[in-house]
Amino acid sequence: RPRHRAPVNSICLPEAGSAHPTRAMTIRFVLMVNKQGQTRLAQYMNMHNIEERCALESEVIRKCLSRNETQCSFFEFRGYKVVYRRYASLFFIVGVEGDDENELAILEFIHALVETLDRYFENVCELDIMFNLEKAHFVLDEMVMNGCIIETNKNNILAPIHLLDKASGM
Amino acid sequence: RIHRRALLGAPGGHCEGGMSGAHLSKDFFELIKNIGECKSKQEEEKIVRNEVAALRQRLSESPASIGLKKSKEAIVRVVYVEMLGHVADFGHIHAVNMTQQTNLLCKRVGYLACSLCLHPEHELITLLVNTIRRDLKSTNHLEVCAALIAVSKLVNPEIMPAVIECIVDLLDHQHEVVRKKAVMALHRLHIVQSGSLSALTDKLRRVLCDKDPAVMGASLHVLHMLIEEQPLAFKDLVPSFVSILKQITEHRLPSSFDYHRMPAPWIQIKLLKVLASLGAADQKSAEHMYEVLYDVLKRADTGINIGFAVVYECVRTVTAIYPNVQLMETAANHISRFVSSENHNLKYLGIKSLAGIVQVNQKYALEHQLVVVECMEDSDETLKRKTLDLLFKMTNANNVVFVVDKLVAHLRQTSDVHFRGALVDRITQLAERYAPDNAWFITTMNAVFELGGDVVQAETAHNLLRLIAEGGGEDEEADMELRLHAVTAYSALLNKSWIPDVLMKVVCWTLGEYGYLSPEYDLSDLVEMLCDAMDRQFEDGSTRCWVMAAVTKVVAQMAAVPDQAVEVATKYAGSESITLQQYCAEFLALAEAPAVMVEVLPVDASCDDLEVDPALGFLDGFVQEALRQGAQPYLAPGERPDELLV
Repeated sequence: RPRHRAPVNSICLPEAGSAHPTRAMTIRFVLMVNKQGQTRLAQYMNMHNIEERCALESEVIRKCLSRNETQCSFFEFRGYKVVYRRYASLFFIVGVEGDDENELAILEFIHALVETLDRYFENVCELDIMFNLEKAHFVLDEMVMNGCIIETNKNNILAPIHLLDKASGM
Repeated sequence: RIHRRALLGAPGGHCEGGMSGAHLSKDFFELIKNIGECKSKQEEEKIVRNEVAALRQRLSESPASIGLKKSKEAIVRVVYVEMLGHVADFGHIHAVNMTQQTNLLCKRVGYLACSLCLHPEHELITLLVNTIRRDLKSTNHLEVCAALIAVSKLVNPEIMPAVIECIVDLLDHQHEVVRKKAVMALHRLHIVQSGSLSALTDKLRRVLCDKDPAVMGASLHVLHMLIEEQPLAFKDLVPSFVSILKQITEHRLPSSFDYHRMPAPWIQIKLLKVLASLGAADQKSAEHMYEVLYDVLKRADTGINIGFAVVYECVRTVTAIYPNVQLMETAANHISRFVSSENHNLKYLGIKSLAGIVQVNQKYALEHQLVVVECMEDSDETLKRKTLDLLFKMTNANNVVFVVDKLVAHLRQTSDVHFRGALVDRITQLAERYAPDNAWFITTMNAVFELGGDVVQAETAHNLLRLIAEGGGEDEEADMELRLHAVTAYSALLNKSWIPDVLMKVVCWTLGEYGYLSPEYDLSDLVEMLCDAMDRQFEDGSTRCWVMAAVTKVVAQMAAVPDQAVEVATKYAGSESITLQQYCAEFLALAEAPAVMVEVLPVDASCDDLEVDPALGFLDGFVQEALRQGAQPYLAPGERPDELLV
């Protein structure tokens, strides 16, 4: 058989994709955004550019707003799987990497997060998060590390934060 | 007001709202209030811009002069303005400095701002190292935790050596919250630089036995990562994982780990994923698992979301590991209930798990055909796409035409770039694997190039051209039929006013090589069409070279060189693209030497071996003549007398 000669302007073969260890960090962003598209809290695993983040936030909230009650609480967005739920005026939006994730478990994680905030702030509302942004971050930081859910036991989550409040007297 | 509505609780329920900001300094309170009350994006921009200006001033004042509280607030305000889209990098160094405060809240706020505003490659990270090291060794466990969190967000390969030993020591810390975070800090180190944990496997395996369930739960994340890389090294842990899962489902953890009466569901789910990795294609390991998986399915079936989440994960594990018939039937029943649920979230999970079980045995999907067809046309885009996923996994030689039709229809409609890329990938895979005949393959690939030209991989076009050139390898007649089909389709496409670049390349190459097969057009027609195509707009400049190459090949087969071809080559001989210049110059030179042109561009010989004489023997006569005329002979670099060393 004649050996195959590549056609004119030989096309380079793309490199085979390699499994990247960042796959282990499934949660890529956690957002709290209100209906008007104002961001109340944002944490990202791997996105550092402010413009990119803002663009992502406005796009994702638009998509959430365009969906109705009967549809799934999940959708695909820019290669992420987005899980979202609305609580009063605030959307809680979590972006997850890859297809292996358990979307319903993430949806319930969102609920666990809200329940925890509710316990800490006693009947939490959007304003509480606005006036206590760093505390809201602290709660989230107790629950998620490296994009993994590591704590959902409310006692464990809030104990260090209560200690922090006591120790600092501010 | 909308901001004060309680997130949880009855609609219309209010929270204490008004008290929320009482602890803040007056101007910080005002800032947040104004941001909350603004009615437009422009208004918000104005407020934030003023704030950025004020912050520059504020941050230049030391904590000693304005007090710790206001200094801390200034850092939070930096976080605020960046969250709202404005860069405030002048604040970053102050965040770094804040981490050095002894006041715990200030320190934490400093670390928080650093983790939100900086990133692992940021130049300020090196300034944090000493503080982090000090805090990692602190006797105050809250300081240790603050540092561990910062490590998990900001560590880079450079500073890793400075902190890794401290962190490993912390695996034995007396406080469970420290041990838990230390495990995750190591998780991060492995992600940043794989191999970081190679000496620590034994220690990490021991964390699985930590008496604190949360620490044990954290170890699962690290272990899972290591298991994915080297499953064989961890098969001996299967009984341990099974035992832990059993204990959890039997409610042996403190009730504070319950969520809506479900014991540690996220830890259960993580364990199920670990078991899936270890039991795949491994009968011995899988057999250890069947009993506990039955148990999990039974106990998780509580009718609430978190229960369904655990059931779903368990079903996935069942379908991933070495199969057990009864367990598979049980899983299939759960899937049925998901798929036939009215709740879209559950339906979605049903379709997803169906895609998993179908790879074990297609029969499970057949009984749900009606529902699947319904979901394919559902107005919920999410459900529709998941169903396409399922279809893809169910494709075989019998239904490939039907499935690809559906996928192509979606490619035609959707504008979502990621989705289009996935569709193109899948159509290509299915076409290459199951094409019923070559004609169908070409038509399908044409549709892919036409509809998905912007997302198709170059390799796909390459494979198609290779198929046309080499043929199927069995039947010369079938191969010619394939080429005829391609030529007919592509000359028709050339009549369209626009086709994507990748398709144009395929068209040109094919017509250049096999245009002579065309029943409709003779060579002069083709040259005309190709020359016209030279003037089109292309996204990729190199496409024009493909057209010129095709013109050259076709002209080589003609008795005389058409004027239009010469015009076009002359026109583009002055192109900015050197490559195009070359193609045009070659054509013009060959046009003057028809005999050479025919020899250099043989017909249907793209697969022939090229015989190249690297000694360029055909130039020997030329060289001898030049030497005879007095030219200097060639000297290799080492032989030259007055070598200029540059």
